[in-house]
Amino acid sequence: MHNHTPQPGQERFVAPAIDTELPTAVDVDTSHPPESQWKQAWKSLRSNWIFWFSAILLLLVLVVVCFPTLFTSVDPRSADLSNSLGKPQPGHIFGFDRQGYDVFARTIHGARASVIIGLLTTLIVTIVGLLTGAIAGFFGGWVDTIISRAADIFFAIPLLLAAIVGLSALNNVWPNRGYWGGVSAVVIALAVFGWPQITRIARGAVMEIKNLEFVDAARSLGASKWRNLFTHIIPNALPPVIVTATVSLGVYIVAEATLSFLGIGLPPSVVSWGNDIAAAQPQVRSGDNLHVLFFPAGALAMTVLSFMLLGDAVRDALDPKARK
Amino acid sequence: MWRYIVRRLLQTIPVILGATLLIYALVFLQPGDPIVALFGEKPVSEAARAQLEAQYNLDKPFIVQWLLFLKGALVGDFGTSYSGQPVSDLIARSLPVTFQLAFMAMIIEAILGVVAGFYAGLRRGHIFDSTMLVVSLVVIAIPIFVLGFALQLIFGVQLQWVPPTVGSATTFTNLLLPAVVLGLVSFAYVLRLTRTSVIENLTADHVRTARAHGVPDGVVNRRHVLRNSLIPVVTFLGADLGALMAGAVVTEGIFNINGIGNLAYQAILRGENPTVVSVVTIMVLIYVVASLLVDLLYAALDPRIRYA
Amino acid sequence: MQPKRILKYVGALSVAALAFTACGGGDDAAGGSADGEMVINAHGTEPQNPLVPTNTNEVGGGHIVDAIFAGLVSYATDGSTEMEVAESIESEDNLTWTIKLKDGWTFSDGTPVTANSFVDAWNYGANPDNAQLNAYFFNPIEGTDEEGNSTDGETLSGLEVVDDLTFEVTLKEPASDFPDRLGYSAYFPLPEVAFEDMEAFGEKPVSNGPYVLEEWNHDVEAVLSTNPDYEGNRTPQNDGLIFKFYTDPDAAYTDVQSGVVDVMDQVPPSAISTFQDDDSIQAFAEPGSVNGTITIPSRLEHFGDDEEGQLRRQAISKAIDREAVTSTIFDDTYTPATDFSSPLMPDFTEDVEGADVLEFDADEAKELWAQADEINEFTGSFELSYNADGAGNREWVEAVTNQIRENLEIEAEPNAFAAFAEFRELITNRELDTAFRTGWQPDYPSVYNYIAPTFGTGAGANDGDYSNPDFDQALREAAAAEDDATRAEHLADAQAILMEDLPAIPLWNRDAIAIAAQGVEGVQVNWQNQPEYYLVTK
Repeated sequence: MHNHTPQPGQERFVAPAIDTELPTAVDVDTSHPPESQWKQAWKSLRSNWIFWFSAILLLLVLVVVCFPTLFTSVDPRSADLSNSLGKPQPGHIFGFDRQGYDVFARTIHGARASVIIGLLTTLIVTIVGLLTGAIAGFFGGWVDTIISRAADIFFAIPLLLAAIVGLSALNNVWPNRGYWGGVSAVVIALAVFGWPQITRIARGAVMEIKNLEFVDAARSLGASKWRNLFTHIIPNALPPVIVTATVSLGVYIVAEATLSFLGIGLPPSVVSWGNDIAAAQPQVRSGDNLHVLFFPAGALAMTVLSFMLLGDAVRDALDPKARK
Repeated sequence: MWRYIVRRLLQTIPVILGATLLIYALVFLQPGDPIVALFGEKPVSEAARAQLEAQYNLDKPFIVQWLLFLKGALVGDFGTSYSGQPVSDLIARSLPVTFQLAFMAMIIEAILGVVAGFYAGLRRGHIFDSTMLVVSLVVIAIPIFVLGFALQLIFGVQLQWVPPTVGSATTFTNLLLPAVVLGLVSFAYVLRLTRTSVIENLTADHVRTARAHGVPDGVVNRRHVLRNSLIPVVTFLGADLGALMAGAVVTEGIFNINGIGNLAYQAILRGENPTVVSVVTIMVLIYVVASLLVDLLYAALDPRIRYA
Repeated sequence: MQPKRILKYVGALSVAALAFTACGGGDDAAGGSADGEMVINAHGTEPQNPLVPTNTNEVGGGHIVDAIFAGLVSYATDGSTEMEVAESIESEDNLTWTIKLKDGWTFSDGTPVTANSFVDAWNYGANPDNAQLNAYFFNPIEGTDEEGNSTDGETLSGLEVVDDLTFEVTLKEPASDFPDRLGYSAYFPLPEVAFEDMEAFGEKPVSNGPYVLEEWNHDVEAVLSTNPDYEGNRTPQNDGLIFKFYTDPDAAYTDVQSGVVDVMDQVPPSAISTFQDDDSIQAFAEPGSVNGTITIPSRLEHFGDDEEGQLRRQAISKAIDREAVTSTIFDDTYTPATDFSSPLMPDFTEDVEGADVLEFDADEAKELWAQADEINEFTGSFELSYNADGAGNREWVEAVTNQIRENLEIEAEPNAFAAFAEFRELITNRELDTAFRTGWQPDYPSVYNYIAPTFGTGAGANDGDYSNPDFDQALREAAAAEDDATRAEHLADAQAILMEDLPAIPLWNRDAIAIAAQGVEGVQVNWQNQPEYYLVTK
């Protein structure tokens, strides 16, 4: 802890019971199973309305991803140029884009590829990054050196450039990969070069936490190194990781848009928000018919919002001091 | 401390070797024949092809190409582009402006992000916090090639507050709008990270203790909350410099800035391996130095972290 | 621009708290003539090769090379050929050509332009050791291989210097239009100094054209001043040109709006639908010479050189509603094709036999496809490949595959390649197993230049490996024709054969588009879809 110079009024200070570290430390140390901290988190999560709001929003997104036909019967690839840039109208509430696609159907069906890319990439990146970062920060020494330098090799090459080069290299060895192949290729390219971001954040957080008193306390009470890492260190290192991951989720979905814009992301036949946002770019200059940009971008923003709020709620739940 | 720095600098050697090998392998795996690209729709004779392949070492196995590149790079010779210019000249021309741009973007995102995140964290759930949430959503959900383009049209063409494009006049004011655009996405990261850390630290024991000691709120917030909230932000920013330089690919195109991101992208499109690899090598170097600085900054921000 | 547009941007982006005052109206091309010098700023791209005429094959370098060099002939705005450095180009048999030069032409270093200036430059260009990108253009000359590289060392057997101002060219086979080809940049002369150090020359060429290169500021601009000694056909109406380099045409368009750039040779996809109504600029759109086609190689299953293949090609051609695509995707800046060339060509024929196969008819298309299915059932998907780094390709490819899918009731989808290099390599190596986009910009104004290099048996750009002896015969007859009328007739016959076989499906011609800042005058778009920069004033 920081060394405070004695402040006036110090002698009047009596720490309220809630501020004392002891109960938490005792709570975690011996008899309870390691999940106890997670259980507590869940308890506090249940009573947070933001959690429920974001969870319902997220559930909605996931239902759209899994069952798009529940929401629209229009084929998202059916196009009629005579409808080009048609305004919203009954039966086609989001109007039509330049190709004459129904924007509502595109937005609904586009969720699958976009959300899967964002979610899967974030998941891989977070798991790999959290583990490598936590181990590097916790053990230090040569373990840290190897992990950190390996992370540097991948992270030193800027994500967008790396994804461009990586995806076109993938084109070479894996052509004609279809819908799921196309989606996986984008996930692979983004994840391979994206994990060190989380590694760095997690490592920094762990290095900070491992010196805190309650960790020392747990250690002195006989918790093993690994158990200590998983029960105390990682949960407490999570907040910056969660925040970065929730923002990254949006960034990855948009990265797909940029890659598609440059012609190396998803094949044009795959319906995705990114493909549609890229196709809407020309509308920006005239400022007309911006509905073709608004709906896919809005759907993307809503998805990111639900993850951000969820991340916020989870972070709160994991913070023992912030628990109500 | 010094021993740590020296050791870290020595460790950069395998990083640079690894990263250049990785990029060389990827570039080598690129589909597309640069010679065919050079000739466009016209046919190429075997003799002419052999001549060009020998000239650019394209006829050698990839590991030999890589070693030849390293050998040259050690003495500052990065080869020549297909337009016959030394790649080192190309980099020397484009690096300063990208550096200036990325640095400005970083300052902007750091200051705005930390200040906005700090207040959003302090006033959690209030109107300012919610506004910042919406702002970061907009920034994240709309790609740069749309958002940057729109800002250019609004501020450059219609309001004429700034020149719409930069070109050769890379002055501070001309680079301001591109720097803001470039820093937007990272701004969202910094904002969210700072906000979370602030919320976290507001309930930390030493902060409570200080408050209970009667230290005024403002002082506590600045000295204890903010300072401790900066660690993840600094981590992020240090790693972000590289991302900013590559993120410049799109931004540099929009504002016609002859920077290194654009150079790399055009070279990828043309299959100019020497240029791609050289530019990436430079980016790796910058990243490595930045990440070393971050690790040293940790120690300054958090006295508990010590390097032996 | 109208204020309501600003409000729309803001609404869409939720950018709050932007206080608007008046918007900046038309800040017309101010500046430029401040010191009495009328220097025109033109949009350009960084040349990708040294500025050696035989090594410049893309527009960025092409603009500059065309402006600073003068060849034997020059092309007028409408594409007709005019003698420039040549006094006369004559032949008895269309095989051996005697070229006489005008006296008094000099390079900007003061040395005279002689027969050797041409012959040495061409020999240099054809020499495979120099690996010049335009070698292909020397392919008609005796002593070269199919790719135009010399087969016997440093000099071509078909080139002979007679005296200082005369030389003879012997071709492999008769070509009545040979003089018309000689205005292309590959045939420009080089001064002696060039051969001492071609690398240095490519950085700062010494030239004989309307302009001379003052400065090439890499990635930023090329500054050209007028050449006081030039006395050719293209007398500059301005005092100089500055080609400002851009990588993104959107940025350049924005600079035309604000008057930083005076003239631009294209319009980015984002402005295609609005540029003709944009009152901050002047718009020019006329029928153009660049065409767009879909090549379906005969090696593809179901598209072979037989009845089934022919039926399917016709079905696909008829399933495409060209009019709908040009009006919605291209906002009428493209014109549906009526043949394999362009109406701008002097030997263009209005009604080529069989051209009705290019007209949209969904019912007939479906019927033709069904007939083909009776011969051999079609399964799988019809894919159309394109390169995504070419602006606007994606939009039309998507629209065309949508039409094919809906009208033929088969699966059809676009297949994207990030870079032209990759796309082109697969085509060249015959490894691309899909239909693909092709297009042609003529090197010299003639229908012959559209169809001979692309569909002649074994020709360099015959990407679909089309081969039809009747077509080859018609081409030979056209090349040897005595007068223009017979030539045009033979070319129309050749095209009629193509209409039946459809080795490629003609789609449309891109309009020649240019834009200029307010106050700029004299913008004329030539047959190559380029503004005549030397005529621009302000």
